[in-house]
Amino acid sequence: MAEPILNVENLSKSFGKIKAVNQLSFEVTKGQVFGILGPNGSGKTTTLSMLLDLIQPDSGGFQWFGQPPSKGSRKRIGSVIESPNFFPYLDAVTNLKIVADIKDKPYNDIADILQVAGLYERRLSKFKTFSFGMRQRLAVASAMLGSPEVLILDEPTNGLDPQGIAQIRDIIAMVASRGSTILLASHLLDEVQKICNYVVVLRKGVMLFSGNVKEVLAVSDSIELAASDKQELVTAISEYPGFSSLTESDGIIQVHFSQPADTAAINSFLSQKGIILSHLADKKRSLEQHFLELLQDNK
Amino acid sequence: MIKLLKIEFKKIRTYKVFWILTGLYFVFLAAGILLAEFMINNMVNGVNRRMPIPFPHVAIYYFPDVWQNVAFFASIRYVLIFPAIIMIILITNEFTFKTIRQNVINGMSKTEFLASKLLIILLMAVIMSIVLAAGAFFIGLSHSGLSEVNFFSQGIPFMVGFFISLLCYMVYAFFCGFILRNTGLSIAIFTLYSLIIEPVIYFIFRAPFMFKNTIYTYLPVNSVIRLTEYPAIPMLKKIMGVNLQEHVSLTACLIPIAYSAVMIVTVFLIMKRKDL
Repeated sequence: MAEPILNVENLSKSFGKIKAVNQLSFEVTKGQVFGILGPNGSGKTTTLSMLLDLIQPDSGGFQWFGQPPSKGSRKRIGSVIESPNFFPYLDAVTNLKIVADIKDKPYNDIADILQVAGLYERRLSKFKTFSFGMRQRLAVASAMLGSPEVLILDEPTNGLDPQGIAQIRDIIAMVASRGSTILLASHLLDEVQKICNYVVVLRKGVMLFSGNVKEVLAVSDSIELAASDKQELVTAISEYPGFSSLTESDGIIQVHFSQPADTAAINSFLSQKGIILSHLADKKRSLEQHFLELLQDNK
Repeated sequence: MIKLLKIEFKKIRTYKVFWILTGLYFVFLAAGILLAEFMINNMVNGVNRRMPIPFPHVAIYYFPDVWQNVAFFASIRYVLIFPAIIMIILITNEFTFKTIRQNVINGMSKTEFLASKLLIILLMAVIMSIVLAAGAFFIGLSHSGLSEVNFFSQGIPFMVGFFISLLCYMVYAFFCGFILRNTGLSIAIFTLYSLIIEPVIYFIFRAPFMFKNTIYTYLPVNSVIRLTEYPAIPMLKKIMGVNLQEHVSLTACLIPIAYSAVMIVTVFLIMKRKDL
């Protein structure tokens, strides 16, 4: 059993009549790259704000490192919530020193993390002179200060250009490779798909789904087939191990499997039965489609 | 505590607005104190033109009166407003830049955050009071002899009185900034209240023989400013036998201290409950 980092139990928070977060429970274990996925307004930031003691939950609770939350536990977590928050009139180094002071961490890794964030040359420039991407990178850098055990990132690539997104993702990948636990909130499915290995899906503050990102993808595998003799093809493919269902449209048969199916194996299986395929395509549904379907199902 | 001050110092060390306003404060303060005698004598001369027996020249920079006079001119509204505005900017900046959120996220407790701001107020009040006391000492020294210093009977009481004025007034400013969270709005409302609304209330309640113990005495800003209620003018003492104020009244000190205590408790309670 992996070491638990965060336990969330029945966490709820309302703003007036709106239930921002409703009976949310999940667990994050050490080394996971944990995604919180949901459209805007689904309660991601509210959840993270509660986990960092910015917002008081109405009911329910959570534990960091197996203990009730405290300023001590927050010092072991590096976080970027919403926008990068720094003093605009201070330079990057001074801003980071303030973070280090609060976290009781030494200054000696400031130069290193500024290098990683690609901001070393601008370390003595005032924060207000930074571009949007640089600000975001400084925020991620400050979260990495003192090698925290957990990194919490709320929409870290929001509003960045493709190059900026790639830079942030590289940094996250590097931190994850060190064995830190990462909690990432995003409305971008593609991002969660690329970075995370575990995901919870939120909609209107309710958890719709939680599970391994790979499992989510595997479930949604399907393969498109076509052959001159359609009837023969249907009969043959129904006998393939793992077959679950099929749909037909415009002469193309879409086959779903209960386990990952290999196109090469299917091709050879069918040719042994004397069926020559005129069309064979692997249709892995992206997490995005799956996510949209999840949201649809729960309307 | 040292750690919190270290963090606060980093926040202001290279903050130009802070140093410009602090500089302006000292310029206004010095100008106010050093021009006071000239202004008073200008007024006296004006009166003298219509008097058969002229009033003598007024001197206010002699020991022991210099302590009271410096404290009086340092605590007039238009000078005291500077440190208050500095405090408003320092606290509302934390909301504007959302650094209060970031400080808490990074592992500062909400109590520590408030404590760090109150510590900076305390430190500023101590430093500014010491600077003023040193200034008063040198002004007194250049006008009279060292033998007449009277530091313990006059100097300390009036300087401590000024310290309480400054401290409480900055706590008011901190409270205003914390509640309103917006720099411009806080400065506008605080300045309007201090410089216009309270004087207007004074004007309304200024019935003859009533103006001492009316509601006005208990208004927050007035109670701060009136700790050193009158300047010490020897002419009044000698010729008219009037001595307007002997010392700083302890009960008068309790009014702004009580206001400040209520404000600090309120701020802590709000901080505990309200989401950031």
